[in-house]
Amino acid sequence: MIWRFTLRRLAVGFVQLSVLVIAVFFLIRLLPADPVARFIGMNASPEAYALAEQSLGLDLPVTSQFGIFLLGDGDEGDGLIGGDLGTSWVTGSSVNQEIRQFLPVTLELITLSFLVAVGLGVPIGVFGAVNPGGAADKGTLIYGLFAGSQPEFSWGIIFIFIFFVILGVAPGPLGRLSPLTDPPDFVTGAITIDALLAGRVDIFLEALWYLSLPILTLSFVLSGPIIKMVRENVAQTMNADFMFYGQAAGLPRNVLARDALRAAFAPALTLIGILFGFMIGGAVLIESIFSISGLGQYAIRSILAFDYPAIQGVVLTISALTLLIYLAIDVCQALLDPRVSV
Amino acid sequence: MADSQNTVLSAHGLSVEYADDSPTLADINIDLKAGEIVGLTGGSGSGKSTLAYALLALTRHSARITGGRVEFGNRDLLALSDIELEQIRGRDIALIVQNPRSALHPMYQVGQQISRVYQTHGGSRGAMAQQRAIEMLRLVGINDPERRADAFVHELSGGMAQRVLIALALSTNPKILIADEPTSGLDVTVQAQFLDTMWETSRKTGTAMMLVTQEPGILANYCDRVIELDAGRVIKDVSASEFVYGSILQSTDSPVSDQNACQVGEPLVMVEGLRKTFPLRGTKKVVQAVDDVSLSLFKGESVGLVGESGSGKSTVGRCLLKLLESDAGKITFDGQDLTDATGESLRQLRRRIQIVQQDPYDSFDPRWTIEQSLRDPIEIHNIVPIADAKTAIEDSLNRVSVELSTLARRPKDVSAGVLQRIAIARALLTKPDFLVLDEPTSMLAPQGRHIILDVLKQLRTDLDLSYLLISHDLTSVASACDRVVVMYLGQVVEVGPTSDIFSKPAHPYTKALIGAHLEESPQTRRVDKSDRLDLEGEIPSPIDLPVGCYLATRCLQAKGACHTERQELEKLNSHHDVRCMRASEIELDEAS
Repeated sequence: MIWRFTLRRLAVGFVQLSVLVIAVFFLIRLLPADPVARFIGMNASPEAYALAEQSLGLDLPVTSQFGIFLLGDGDEGDGLIGGDLGTSWVTGSSVNQEIRQFLPVTLELITLSFLVAVGLGVPIGVFGAVNPGGAADKGTLIYGLFAGSQPEFSWGIIFIFIFFVILGVAPGPLGRLSPLTDPPDFVTGAITIDALLAGRVDIFLEALWYLSLPILTLSFVLSGPIIKMVRENVAQTMNADFMFYGQAAGLPRNVLARDALRAAFAPALTLIGILFGFMIGGAVLIESIFSISGLGQYAIRSILAFDYPAIQGVVLTISALTLLIYLAIDVCQALLDPRVSV
Repeated sequence: MADSQNTVLSAHGLSVEYADDSPTLADINIDLKAGEIVGLTGGSGSGKSTLAYALLALTRHSARITGGRVEFGNRDLLALSDIELEQIRGRDIALIVQNPRSALHPMYQVGQQISRVYQTHGGSRGAMAQQRAIEMLRLVGINDPERRADAFVHELSGGMAQRVLIALALSTNPKILIADEPTSGLDVTVQAQFLDTMWETSRKTGTAMMLVTQEPGILANYCDRVIELDAGRVIKDVSASEFVYGSILQSTDSPVSDQNACQVGEPLVMVEGLRKTFPLRGTKKVVQAVDDVSLSLFKGESVGLVGESGSGKSTVGRCLLKLLESDAGKITFDGQDLTDATGESLRQLRRRIQIVQQDPYDSFDPRWTIEQSLRDPIEIHNIVPIADAKTAIEDSLNRVSVELSTLARRPKDVSAGVLQRIAIARALLTKPDFLVLDEPTSMLAPQGRHIILDVLKQLRTDLDLSYLLISHDLTSVASACDRVVVMYLGQVVEVGPTSDIFSKPAHPYTKALIGAHLEESPQTRRVDKSDRLDLEGEIPSPIDLPVGCYLATRCLQAKGACHTERQELEKLNSHHDVRCMRASEIELDEAS
C-alpha cells in the first residue's frame, strides 16, 4: 500500500521535475541578458564574441541547445538523461561536482539548525499547552512574535554584533572553520561528519563552535512557528474528546501524554517539512553573512554571472530535494495516522 | 431487587461552577444503588452531563467542582489524588459518552484501545488482553470481532463505535456504569439493539447504571428510577412509572384523525420509478441511494417518509425539489412535469414547493438577522410589494408562534427549536402548496419536537398545506401524518395509512422498526416482551446490494427465495402496499 503510494508520488514528482526542466531552460534564455558579453567582457572584438558564443553553444537554435542539455553532445557529458548537469561557464568544472561540494554545506547548516529548533520548540510548545496562560506560555508567545518580527539576516547581524563584537564569546563570521585550520578530507561534504570520519574530534568541536552563531540565528527564527504550531496542536488535542475519555477510563498520565503527542505531532511534522524545504534555498542570506559557501551562495554567484548550466543545476537540485522531503513527510504522516489514505 | 438498599455511589451537596462563576450544578444530592438503573434527564443545559462527569470527579472545559462530596465505598472521590482516581475510573466506575467516534483515539486500533484499558486495571497482558477485547466485542454484538478489533475508529459506523465504547467500559467488570446519552445519533433499530444489550449486561453482571437521556421512551423502557434536573438542581427523584405518568399528562398528542379523507382527484405530487445513484470516486461502482421509488401525495395530505439513515429518504426529498437531478423516473407536480422543467418554469414551481432542512443553524446565514433572512424569499419571488414585506413576515412568524422580537436577532442567539420554526415560517412566505420537511425535529429536544409537530398540524388545518415529513422518529410521523411510506435501502418497502402501518405492519422491516420504537410507558416495556421482532446487524452498504430482498441479510424470517429473488411492491389491499413475498405467509405463521 505504502509502496504503491510512494511509487505513484515518485512518478508524479518525475513529471513535475520534467516540466520544471523545460520551464527553467527556456525561461532563463528569454531573459534580456547577454551571457556571452558577461563572459568575455564588453570590449571584445566581434570575432572573439562569435568564438565565445560558439564555445558556449549559444550560436545553435534554442531547441538544439535543449537537445544537447538533455542528451549531451557526444564528446563531453551525457546530458541530463545521463545525470549530467553540464559544465559551469564560469569555473569550467562540472556542475555536478560543484553542487556535490556546496549542497552538503547547506544541508549540514539547516539540519543542525532544525535539530536545535525542534529540540527546543517541541518541549516548549508542549509545556505552554499543558500550562495555558502561565508565564512560560505568555513568554513563548511574545518570543514567537519577537523572533518573527525581523528577517533572519537582520538577527544574524545583531547576534554577530552582540556575541562577537561586544561580548567576544562567539567566533567571527569566518565560515565553518578557523582560516588557519586544515579541513578534513572531503568525504560527505558536511564538515562535522567528515571530521568525525577522520577521527578528528578537535575539528568536529571547532566546526560546531564556528557554526554556533549561524545555527543560533536560524533556530531562533525557526523555533517561533514550531513552538506556536506544537502549542496549538497539543492544546487542541488535550481538549479532544478522546483525551477526556482516556482520563475517564483511568488511563495513567504517561499513556495519555503519549496519546496526545501522537495526535498532535502529525500536523507539526508537515510544518517542519515545509520549512525545511523552504530553507534549502532560503538560507542564502545567512550563508552570506557568515561566509559559509553553501548552495545559496553558489546560486547567487551563478545567477549574477548568467551561468546558465549552474542555474539549471541548482534549481533542479532544490526542486528534487523539496519534492523528496514532501514525499517523506507524507509517508511519515501515513505511518503515523491511519486516517491518511495513501 | 434483594440488594437494592446498598448504595454504591452517592453525591452530597455537589456543586460545579464554570470559570465565569455561573453555577452549573448547585447542591446535588443523589444516590445510586447496586444493580439499579437510574435515568438522569432534563432539558439541554440543565447540567445532566456535567453531573454525570462530576460523579467521576471529572469536569470538562473551564468547569470545576466547587463543593460537596462524591462517596464511593466510604471514600470521597473529590478528596482523592489523581493516581488514586486513575485506579477507580475505568475499573470501578466506567463511563460511556455520546459521540463515540470522537471519544476513541483516531490512531489506535479499537481492539488495542480496549485491551490497554483492561491491562491498566489489572487485567492480563499481551495476547490474553487482545483475546479479552475480542470477547467483549462479541458480547456487545459485533459481527466478526476478530477483524473489527483491528479496525480504526474512522472505519466504524456510529452504532458500531458506540458498541466498542461499551465493550471498553465493561471489559473491567465495573460496579457502576455511567452512560451519557449513549444513543444520540443512532438509528432507532440500532438504538434498541444497543440499549437491550446494555440492559441485559447490566442485569447479568449486577452493574449499577446511570443513564443520561432526554428521551422519555428510554426512561420508560429501561430505567427503574428517574432523576430530573432543571437549571442545575434536582427537581424530581421518583420511580420510572411515576415519572412517565406525570409527563404524559403534560403533553397530550392527538393523532390525525380524518385519514384518507382527502384522497380525491389527481394527486398533487406524483413520483414514478425514481432512481438516483452517486458515483463512487475513483471506482466504477455507484452508491444506490434511491432505487425505484413511487409515491403520490394529494392536496392537503401529509405523508411520512420513514427509514433508517442511509435508506435514501433525504435523497427522495431533494429530488422532489430538483435540488438533485434524478437518474430515471418521473416527478409530476400539479400536472406539470418537474423532471423537464428549467429556467423560469422551474423557478415558479420551486416557489410552490419549499423545503425545511434538518439543521436550522445550517440553513440560515449566520451573519444576517432573522428579518434579513425572511426578506430574502419575498424579494426573490416578488410575493408582495416591498412595503408589505414586514406584515407578511410578521404574519408567518405568528403562524409558527415565534415572538416578533426575534426578528432583530442573529441565528446563534436563537434556540434550535425556535430557529427551526422560523425556518418553517420562511418556507411559508412564498405561499407554497407543498412542503418537504427533512428530519425537522431530529436536532431538537422532546419539548421542541412537540411544538414543531403542533405547528405543522395547525398549518395543515389553516392553510390546507400538503407536506412530506421525512423522519426516522416514528412518534413524529404517527402524530402528524395521514399516510406513511417506509423506505429501506433506497426502496419503498411498505405504504399505507398511518393507523394500518402502526397497528398491522406487514413488512418484517416495518415490524422491526415499530418494535424498536420505545413507547413512553413503563407498562409496555420493550425488555419485558419476549416476542420481539428484531433485525440482525446493521444496514448493508448501498454499494454492494444484496441480490434478492435487500433485507434478507438481517431478516429472521428470510427463506431461500428471499436471498435470490428481487421483491416487488405489491398491493395488500386498496391502500396498503408491501414489498415482501412472504408478507401473508409470515402473518399466517404468527397467527398459528
